[in-house]
Amino acid sequence: MHDIFLWTALGFYGLGIILLIPQVIHRRPSLSPASLGALGLGLLAHAAALLAEAAKIHRLPVVDVRSALSFYAFLVTLAFFFAYLRYRIASLGLFMFPLVFVLTLIGTFRVDRPFDSSSMRSGWLLVHIGSTIIGYTGFFLTFVAALMYLIQERELKSKKPRGFYYRLPSLEICDEIYYRSLLFGFPLMTLGMLMGFIAAARNWKGPWELDPKILASLVTWLIFLLLFSTRVSGGWRGRRAAYVAIFGFVTIMATFLGASLLSGPHGYFPSLKQLP
Amino acid sequence: MNLVLVGINHRTAPVEVRERMNIPEERLLEAVSDLVHREGVREGMILSTCNRVEVVAQAEENLDAEPILYQFLADHHHCEFASFERFFYHRRQQEVVSHLFRVASSLDSMILGEPQILGQVKRAYAAARQAGGLNGTLNEVVTQALAVAKRVRRETALGSAAVSVSYAAVELAKKIFGSLEGKTIFVIGAGKMSELAAKHLLRSGASTILVTNRTHERAVELAKAFQGTAIPFEELLDTIHRADIVISSTGAPHFIVRKEQAEKLLAARKSRPLFFVDIAVPRDIDPAVNQLDNAFVYDIDDLGQVVEANKKQREREAVWAEEIVGQEVQKMMHRLASREVVPTIRALEERLNRIREAELERHRGPLGTLSSEQRQAVDALTRGILNKILHGPVTELKSEAGEAGQHNLVRLIQKIFGLGG
Repeated sequence: MHDIFLWTALGFYGLGIILLIPQVIHRRPSLSPASLGALGLGLLAHAAALLAEAAKIHRLPVVDVRSALSFYAFLVTLAFFFAYLRYRIASLGLFMFPLVFVLTLIGTFRVDRPFDSSSMRSGWLLVHIGSTIIGYTGFFLTFVAALMYLIQERELKSKKPRGFYYRLPSLEICDEIYYRSLLFGFPLMTLGMLMGFIAAARNWKGPWELDPKILASLVTWLIFLLLFSTRVSGGWRGRRAAYVAIFGFVTIMATFLGASLLSGPHGYFPSLKQLP
Repeated sequence: MNLVLVGINHRTAPVEVRERMNIPEERLLEAVSDLVHREGVREGMILSTCNRVEVVAQAEENLDAEPILYQFLADHHHCEFASFERFFYHRRQQEVVSHLFRVASSLDSMILGEPQILGQVKRAYAAARQAGGLNGTLNEVVTQALAVAKRVRRETALGSAAVSVSYAAVELAKKIFGSLEGKTIFVIGAGKMSELAAKHLLRSGASTILVTNRTHERAVELAKAFQGTAIPFEELLDTIHRADIVISSTGAPHFIVRKEQAEKLLAARKSRPLFFVDIAVPRDIDPAVNQLDNAFVYDIDDLGQVVEANKKQREREAVWAEEIVGQEVQKMMHRLASREVVPTIRALEERLNRIREAELERHRGPLGTLSSEQRQAVDALTRGILNKILHGPVTELKSEAGEAGQHNLVRLIQKIFGLGG
């Protein structure tokens, strides 16, 4: 059931993207009902897929990178709907959904290796996974807002308005989305990391601090700590902050995917599952 | 349906002619009333603006109504019309619908997408209604024109990009600050253009205005006019950081804000953006300030460039708007046409059926007494013939709905079958 629902979700996401392209080309301020409908149906099908999976394995359907990405794509879609309801920016969809589509597509890849992780049922880990992934969802918006900010800023500095000038929201709105999503994401990321440390210290044998993913996450956390603290204290905004936010998000993606290949308990490959 | 329109606009007639033909708003009611009381005119409306004068009417069927409209204009303006006739264009039937839709949607305006025309059409409509000049097809067409204009406004960005320098400044400010609510404007130096820009910004929500000028009295004067605060010119650099938008137009021969100074300003603003509109020549703001993060400097040429880009943008939107208008014209024509066709089809069916019944009655004697099956068979037979005959004309009528030749076809069929329509 999970697969059928997920493919349906993927189909609707694809359809939604195709339908929103003419809206953006023609500078419609908002998305057409058809496009929104398709994306909404995609969201529902995706929710159904996750529920089906959860019912089958009797826990949060985040057991490996594949399922984590699918769950992440679902949350990002949800975040899109929240942001869209608040700001009504059609171009937001164009920036967010291609990645949602790719993540969901990865989510459909079959993994025929059952992932044994009785430890994953522990409460610490549940909070670790949940809040990290929700925090990352916030950062996805931070990333998109930073990207839109940079493009719009470039248009304004160039003084020759081209397509994006008309299609993207004002710098102020980009900055607002950026700041709010950062405020939302950072505490969750911090909480998720602390829970992870606790869970690791309790369950893992050996030097858990040296796990590649944990190290990478620490670096990512420092980047966002920098963005968060400089912004809250008032100084950092604009171009520089946007660049750092984009870099930070790329690091997250790298941690999410890359470090998992190396890290045992976070990883894909059963053979690397346990550190000595 | 017999729609006719004659008119002049900014493309076909020079301003002297448009002036001469203009019908001022206070005389509009009387003019429309005169128009619709003329022989052969069923409905009428007059649209008279500084860029166009148009007289549109729904006339009696098969009447060449243009001379009536020209005569009306000649009478109204007490002039020999022949010398003006060459400036006029005329439209008929579908062209009238299309023309009215385009005019109301501001696709025929001198400045594409300008918003005034819709209000002008609304006033022309109201005057015509009041004069009793709109009660049928034309009324429907004009009402629909207003709806189409709204659809174009809603679904395209035809009217949204600023096409004047002072509005371009407002648009840019909005692209930077989002809402202008609560923003502070600093006007440095007096001048028509900077006052205009400041006025637009205030109207868009900016709340505070600071004014400075080399002669302090002038600054005080301006501040009073805008209900702002006058700042002594010497305190200029210590005050700028309070402003979000700076409009500068002094006669100073050198830059009054340099890059190093701007850097300090931005630091004092905790990197909140600062937008300089420099309308002075020679320029007041060092263009290098634009390189600083969160500072945006637009001089008069830059604003001109934005206006040019916006005009092109409107032209691109116009293509989309024309498409919408095209669709709507087709829909309207179809609706009007089928309205004309349906009664004819019904009359035709009735006419043939009456003939059938009369003939059946006439032959009742020779046929003798028929069993109920036989009667049914005769009935079916005659009905069958009737339907086969009807099939051709009805299909033709329906397929011609909305086409140019439709009216003639309707006439022809009415004539052939003696429908007396």
